[in-house]
Amino acid sequence: MTQVATAGLELSADAPETWIDGGFEPLYEISWRDCEEVQTNALIKRFEQLKGSVAALDKLARREGISTISSVEDALPLLFDHRIYKSYPLAIIEKRQIGKLNSWLDRLTTHDLSQMDLSGLTMIDDWLDRLDDFGMLVGTSSGTTGKLSFVPRSKVEFPSWQRSYYEAQRACTGVDAFTDPVPTFFPGYRGGHHMMLKMLNLFNIPAAGGPEHYHTLYQTHIPADLMSLAARMQAAEDRGELDKLGLDPALLKARENMIAQGKRREQDIEAWFFKLFEEFRGQRVKLGGSFADLIRTANSGIEKGLKPEFGAGSFIMTGGGMKGFKDAPDDWEGYVKDYFSLDTIGMFYGMSEVMSMSPRCSAGNFHIMPVTIPLLFDADMNLLPREGVQTGRYAFFDLMAQTYWGGFISGDEVTIHWDEDCSCGWKQPYVGPQIRRFAEMEGGDDKITCAGTAQAYDDFMDYISEV
Amino acid sequence: MAESYDIPIIARGNIIMPGEDAVEFAGRGGASFRTPDPHQHIHDLVLGNPVRLADLMDTPMAEIIDFLNEVGKRMHIDDNPYLQESFELALRAGGLAEPILKGVYDGLPQMFDPVALFEQADRTIGVDYLDGWVPAPGDDANVRVRAVGTRQLHITAGNVPVVAALTIIRGALTKSDVLIKAPSNDPLTANAVTRTLIDVDANHPVTKHVAVAYWKGGDEFMDSQIVRTSRIDKITAWGGMSSVKHIQKFLTPGIDLTAMNPKFSMSVIGKEALESEATMEEAALGIAVASGLYNQTACSNTRIVYVESEDDEESLEKVVALGSKVVAAYQTLPDVISTPADKPNRDLDAEMEAVALEDDFYHVEGDTISGGVVVSRFADRVDFYDQLNNRVVNLVPVPDLLEIVKWCDDTTQTVGIYPESLRERMLDPLSLAGVQRVVGLEGGDAMQIFHDSHSLPPGMPHDGIEPLRRNVRWVIDHRPSHAALPLSIAAE
Repeated sequence: MTQVATAGLELSADAPETWIDGGFEPLYEISWRDCEEVQTNALIKRFEQLKGSVAALDKLARREGISTISSVEDALPLLFDHRIYKSYPLAIIEKRQIGKLNSWLDRLTTHDLSQMDLSGLTMIDDWLDRLDDFGMLVGTSSGTTGKLSFVPRSKVEFPSWQRSYYEAQRACTGVDAFTDPVPTFFPGYRGGHHMMLKMLNLFNIPAAGGPEHYHTLYQTHIPADLMSLAARMQAAEDRGELDKLGLDPALLKARENMIAQGKRREQDIEAWFFKLFEEFRGQRVKLGGSFADLIRTANSGIEKGLKPEFGAGSFIMTGGGMKGFKDAPDDWEGYVKDYFSLDTIGMFYGMSEVMSMSPRCSAGNFHIMPVTIPLLFDADMNLLPREGVQTGRYAFFDLMAQTYWGGFISGDEVTIHWDEDCSCGWKQPYVGPQIRRFAEMEGGDDKITCAGTAQAYDDFMDYISEV
Repeated sequence: MAESYDIPIIARGNIIMPGEDAVEFAGRGGASFRTPDPHQHIHDLVLGNPVRLADLMDTPMAEIIDFLNEVGKRMHIDDNPYLQESFELALRAGGLAEPILKGVYDGLPQMFDPVALFEQADRTIGVDYLDGWVPAPGDDANVRVRAVGTRQLHITAGNVPVVAALTIIRGALTKSDVLIKAPSNDPLTANAVTRTLIDVDANHPVTKHVAVAYWKGGDEFMDSQIVRTSRIDKITAWGGMSSVKHIQKFLTPGIDLTAMNPKFSMSVIGKEALESEATMEEAALGIAVASGLYNQTACSNTRIVYVESEDDEESLEKVVALGSKVVAAYQTLPDVISTPADKPNRDLDAEMEAVALEDDFYHVEGDTISGGVVVSRFADRVDFYDQLNNRVVNLVPVPDLLEIVKWCDDTTQTVGIYPESLRERMLDPLSLAGVQRVVGLEGGDAMQIFHDSHSLPPGMPHDGIEPLRRNVRWVIDHRPSHAALPLSIAAE
C-alpha cells in the first residue's frame, strides 16, 4: 500500500512533502498508527532515491552492511549522528580551504556541488551565499563546542518547508501567514546563514508583509566565519597573535562590534522594545524573542511604568528556553501576557535539522506531524517501544528531505506520549513540555577528574555549582 | 539502587554523625548521602585561633612520621572497614576499573612510608626548619628562619582517591591545620583516612588538626564564613579556577591560593620511530603505556601524539602503521597498568564513527572498549581532542616537532618522548612553554616504562609547584646582632 486514506485524507508514499498541503487539521485528526505503513513506505522510497547520490549515506550503509530496508527498524543504523554535519576538520576553515569544505558538503547532498564556481571565495559566509545562488539553502548551527554544523538543505525542499512552518504557526496561534501578514518584532540579528535566522528571513519577512514590516534589534548578522573561529580567535588574541591568523580585517572589526553589542544587548532590547511600543500603539503586531527577553522587558517596563498597548489579535511567537536567566516567575506566560496585554503565545518544538515544526497545543504539548517519523532511544541507544509514555534521546526520519538524508539523532531528551491521549483533541505522538539538551546535562552524569578534558572542566563546574 | 550513606563531619578527633539537623544530597552512582548541617558546625571546622597550632608546632617531625607510619600500617583495604566502604563507593562513582582502583588502594600504605615521608619534608622544606629556628650561615646567625604551619582549606578532586591521603599527609608534614572539603563523587575517602587517624590516636596533634566535611559547592554562607583571613591562610583548589569560581569573591590579600589546574598530556615521536618495524613497535608500546595507564583517566595520560612526518601518502601510511601497532600494544598491557573499558564511551564512539566516514581527513582504528587511534591525515589534532578517553589517542603528523610547542601551555602536564635523542631538542622549549614533566617512552618493556614514568623520588614538584614549601609560612626571627655575637664567640 502506498497511500493512506482516512477521513478523506490521502497521503502518498511517493510525495511526503505534499502531506501538509491540506493543512494541519486533517493530519491531527488521524492516528499515527494509521500513518505507520505509508510512513515506512515513504522512508523506503527515500532511501532508494538517495542511495547512490548521497556519498555519506552510502558509506554509512556500506559500513553497516545495509543495501535495502523494509522497515523503520532496518533503517536505524542509518540515522545520522549530529557529528556528521560537522565532521570536517576545523583546520580547513581556519585555512579557508573552501574547496575542501565544498567537497566535504558535496558528500551530504544529491546536488552536484563540484559544478559550483568557487573562484574568489575566501569567507564561509560568501561560500554559503554562493550555495544559495546555486540552489542550496544551507543553514549553520553551532552546538556547545562552537564548531559549526552545516545542514545541507536546498531550494527543492523550500515550498513544503515553508508551508509546514506557516501551518505550525497557524496551529498554535490561528494566524495564517499566507493570507494574513502581521508586522513583526524580533529582538535579535537579521539575515545570515545561521539556521534559525535563515528561517526567520525566509519565512517571517514574508509573514510580516515584507522587509519594511519586519523589525529587528540589529540590522546585521553574526558572520559564520566568526562563529566557527570564535574559540581559536580568542586563543590567538590571548597570545597577542590575532593578526597572525591572517583574517580579513572586516571580520576582526565585526568581532569587535559583536563583543560590544553583546555587552549592550539588554539595554538595547529594552530601548528598542519601548520605542516600538510607542510607534505601534494600537496596532496588531507579532512579537518574537526568547522567554528571557520577554520577561526582562516586562520586568523593566513595569519598573519604569511603561506599558504596551497593542491592537487586538497581537500575539507572541517564542522559544529558546531560559538561557542565562534566573528567577523567572513560575507562571511566566501569564506574567508576559498580562504585561503585553495579549492572549496568545505560540511556540514550536523543532531544531535546525528537521523541517516540520511541532506546534504547541492548547494543553501545552508539541504534536509531531506525520512527515516526521519520531523515535526515542535509551542511554545505550536501544530503541524505546513506541507505546505509552517514554523518555529518551529524540531521533527522527524527516521524510520532507528530498535532496539529503533526513535520518538524524538529536541532542535532546524528550518525553513522547504515543497513545494520542492529549486533552486538546489533536492526534499524533506528542512531546511533553520538558525538553532537555544532553549537552547541558552531561556534567551531571560524569565524574570529576584531574584531566584537562572538556569533560573534566564540565564536571568541575557541575561539582562546584550544582552539587 | 537507592542506598543511603551517613557521612559524618570529622572535626579534630570528633566524629559528628548526622542527627536531627542532617541534610541530604544525591551522590553519583545512585546513592544518597546524609551529613550534619555544615552551617551548624562552622566552629568545629575552622581553627579560629591559630595559636592553637602550638601543639603541632611543638611535636617533633620524627614523632609525626612515627604516627603516620602507624596509620599507614592500617591503610590496608583488607582489614580497614572505612576503606572498604570508600572503595565500594569509589568503584561505583569513579572511572577506574576494579583492578586499577584496587592497585591504587594497594598503593596507600606506601604513601605513609616513613623514610619517604622524612625525605619529602626534608628535601622540600627541611626538617630542621619545621622543628625549630634555623640560624642563617656565618656571621648572620642572629637571623633565624622557621617554617611555620598554617591553616589550610583543601577543595579536593575525587577522581583518584590518593588525593585525600596526600592532602592529609601534606598537612601533617607542614604541621598545619587542614580542612578538607570533600567532593561529591568521593565523599568518603578523606573520611576513611581521618577515621583511621582517630583509631590510631584520637588525641594526637595531627588528628586534632584535620577536619573533613562536605558542603554544597557555591554555598555562599559556608564560603563567606570559612574563607576569611582570620580563619584560613592557604587554599589548595584541585580543578583550577572553576573550583574557586564561587569562593573567589571572598579571596583577599592574605589568603594564598594554589590552583591545581586540570591538565592535559601528550607525546612527541621522532621520525626515527618510523624507520623500522622494531622501532615502530617500541614507540607504539611506549605510547600505549603513556595513554593506557589507569585507563586514561589521569591528567598525565597522553591523548594526542605528535609524530614527526610529512603528510604525503607514503609517509602517512607509516603513521597509520604506527597507529595499528598502538592499538595492538594496548591488548598486551598488564592488568595493573590498563584494562579494556567495561563499557563503551558513546560520545567518543560517535565522534570516531563520524570522522571514520571522512577518509580524506582521518584514519580510524579500534574502539572505546579495547582502545583505538584516530590518525589525522594533516597537521592538526581532531576537533574532539578534549574528549579523548578510553585509551583512544589521536596521532598527528607534523613536519617539524618544534612547531608543537605553540600548542603547549600551563595545562600541558606531561610530555612523553621517543626516542631519547629527541629529548635535548625538545626539553627547554617545552619547559618554557609551560610543560611540567617530560618522560621517556623507550625500552619496549611496559612495566619498566610504567615504573620509570610513574615513580618519582620524594619531594619532587607537583604540576610545576612545590606544594609543601608553599603551604608553610616562612617566619624570620631577627635578633639584634650584638645579642648574637657573644653566643658565636662563646661557641668558638
